[in-house]
Amino acid sequence: MVLEFRNIQKSFGEKEVLKGISFATEGKKAFGLLGRNGAGKTTAIRILMGVFPANGGEVLIDGKPIDRASVGIGYLPEERGLYPKKKIIDQLVYFAELKGMKRKDAEKSIDYWLSRLEMSEYKNKSLDTLSKGNQQKIQLVTALAHDPQIIILDEPFSGLDPVNAMLLKSVVKEEISKGKIVIFSSHQMSYIEEFCDRIAIINGGKTVLHGDLAEIKRNFPRNKLVVRSVDADAIMQKYESRCSLGENGEIIFRLDDESEKSDVMNALVSEYDVDEIKVFEPSLNDIFVEYAEEQM
Amino acid sequence: MKQFKTILAFELKNFIKNKTFVGVTLFLVVALAIVMFFPRITDAFSSDSDADDGSSFSGYSGVMLILADGDEEKIAYANAFGAAFTDYDVHVATESLDAVKDKITSGEIECAFHIESPTKYTYYVGNLSMYDENYLIANEVMQSIYRLEQMAEHGIAIGDAAEILATPIEFENVSLGVDQMQNFFYAYIMIFALYIVILLYGQMVTMNVATEKSSRAMELLITSANPTSMMFGKVIASCIAGLAQLIAVFGSALLFYNLNREYWTEFEMAEMFFDIPPELLGFMLIFFLSGFLIYAFLFGAVGSTVSKLEEVNTAVSPLMMTFVFMFIICMTSMTSGNVDSTLMKVCSFVPFTSPMAMFTRIALSTVPVHEIVISIAILAASVFGVGVLAAKIYRLGVLMYGNPPKLGKLIKQVLFKK
Repeated sequence: MVLEFRNIQKSFGEKEVLKGISFATEGKKAFGLLGRNGAGKTTAIRILMGVFPANGGEVLIDGKPIDRASVGIGYLPEERGLYPKKKIIDQLVYFAELKGMKRKDAEKSIDYWLSRLEMSEYKNKSLDTLSKGNQQKIQLVTALAHDPQIIILDEPFSGLDPVNAMLLKSVVKEEISKGKIVIFSSHQMSYIEEFCDRIAIINGGKTVLHGDLAEIKRNFPRNKLVVRSVDADAIMQKYESRCSLGENGEIIFRLDDESEKSDVMNALVSEYDVDEIKVFEPSLNDIFVEYAEEQM
Repeated sequence: MKQFKTILAFELKNFIKNKTFVGVTLFLVVALAIVMFFPRITDAFSSDSDADDGSSFSGYSGVMLILADGDEEKIAYANAFGAAFTDYDVHVATESLDAVKDKITSGEIECAFHIESPTKYTYYVGNLSMYDENYLIANEVMQSIYRLEQMAEHGIAIGDAAEILATPIEFENVSLGVDQMQNFFYAYIMIFALYIVILLYGQMVTMNVATEKSSRAMELLITSANPTSMMFGKVIASCIAGLAQLIAVFGSALLFYNLNREYWTEFEMAEMFFDIPPELLGFMLIFFLSGFLIYAFLFGAVGSTVSKLEEVNTAVSPLMMTFVFMFIICMTSMTSGNVDSTLMKVCSFVPFTSPMAMFTRIALSTVPVHEIVISIAILAASVFGVGVLAAKIYRLGVLMYGNPPKLGKLIKQVLFKK
């Protein structure tokens, strides 16, 4: 199954929020939808869910306009919240029924998910008696119980302790292996890097970067070196205009051209006491900062 | 449709599980039971002590003194006043007028009549009560004494004169339209019930929507369900709950009344109340339901524009004001007796005021059938229209956080933007 956003546009009144978003993702792959605060991620998600129509463009499943009822979409919103005073099982069944499930099936599925997430003991408690992390796990059940083909997780790891984060990771991996389309939206780049095969970065209402994460990394200009050395100060002094200090005390050495890589490496190693020297490989964080910052 | 049913069931269950809702209903039923069984209970107690305390006449109001010029006149007037004012202790004054005034001021006696001539008197009393009708009785007494005397002077035997004066007029009121006296009561009850129920349940709908929004359950709801189903589900659930509450209260009142019918025969009001004409009951239901729905939709739409619960009161106040305005118009025209004024006629076709105004007119005057039909048709169409509009405002409103948007702007967005 392939989900495709084709040139989606959306304005609210005068304000043009999305100016043409395009990306595609498929089953068995996790997809990261990235962008700075207010870039339009939530708007794109809401269009996918049919909360409001787009002003232009199409959302396609396998090339055909999406039929939301038959595909089924599960959503964990960034702004968490359910009914605080209601019994957990009651509201979970309610939401599953709203998604079109029969009561019996809903109860069965919810039982499964509650035990999978180690929450069965809270079934008959009211939501506001639970801790924030546990409330989040309950909310996750609303996204998964109706066995949707598309799962959208907005900041799924925020507020979870490391053990719960592990549990969530295993659940998500399981869903991905079942062939579902999983869309992540998060600012925690390490998680995206860990999970997502494909990403799209939205900035200023447009898709500024989109594709396979490994490929993106590979295509990132290899024009910087990372140098660790006890003579760091001396190197910095000599190549002042080409060096900058990295976050962990390493030197980032900018190359004028990728071809001078070997010469520079040799020169540095022969001149100074160098512990480590390698081509700078950007993390997703670096990529994000570069793309999301520049064109805002 | 399935979603609508799910939402309706969920919202209804909320009402049933709401302790305040159930508590208030039960309290009202119990209170009514006590009221309706009261005559039976007092009867049961008083039949034990069968001593009839006819002697303890409770209407006693105090001493009344009569001042007049002649001795004979004094006694004659005192006798006549004594017969007319049965709840006063009437005496001839022996002291001077000033002494009498002092006694009234000090509270020793209640009041005094100074008869200056057969056609003129002065009434002295401490505080003149709003409800003091002693002067009316005195006028009557003085007039009949004067007339009798005059007739006797003109040669009519005193017995004949008395008979002439006492001849009663036989009469009968036949109303070819409606009997305002009787229907006034129904209109009054209906308008009050509508007023209270709309305010109560309207607020509940607003709070319901605003709570979902402020707890952010809305994020999930709006992505799970169609806003029109949600709006209609909530409003119709509250309508059913409100109607159920009214039926429980009035139904139990009717039941208790019938159980105690024989003890209520002295109270004409009660009998009148429970013998409501069926067609009036029908109109009551139609206008009640549509009035309730139209306002509940608006209250729901307003609730969706609010981000925090604290803002609810401010947000609903314009709606409340319209509503109270309609209530006041109907009440004043009802009490003035003129329910067919131009204002009322206009109001009885405007959907936001017609539930009260048209019902008042139907109850208290004769309204042509076509006017009723037109009014109901406009109302029914508006209920539906407002419902759809409210659902659209709701869909826009629930996703907006921060300052509540202007309602006018929202409506514009809904109407002119696809």
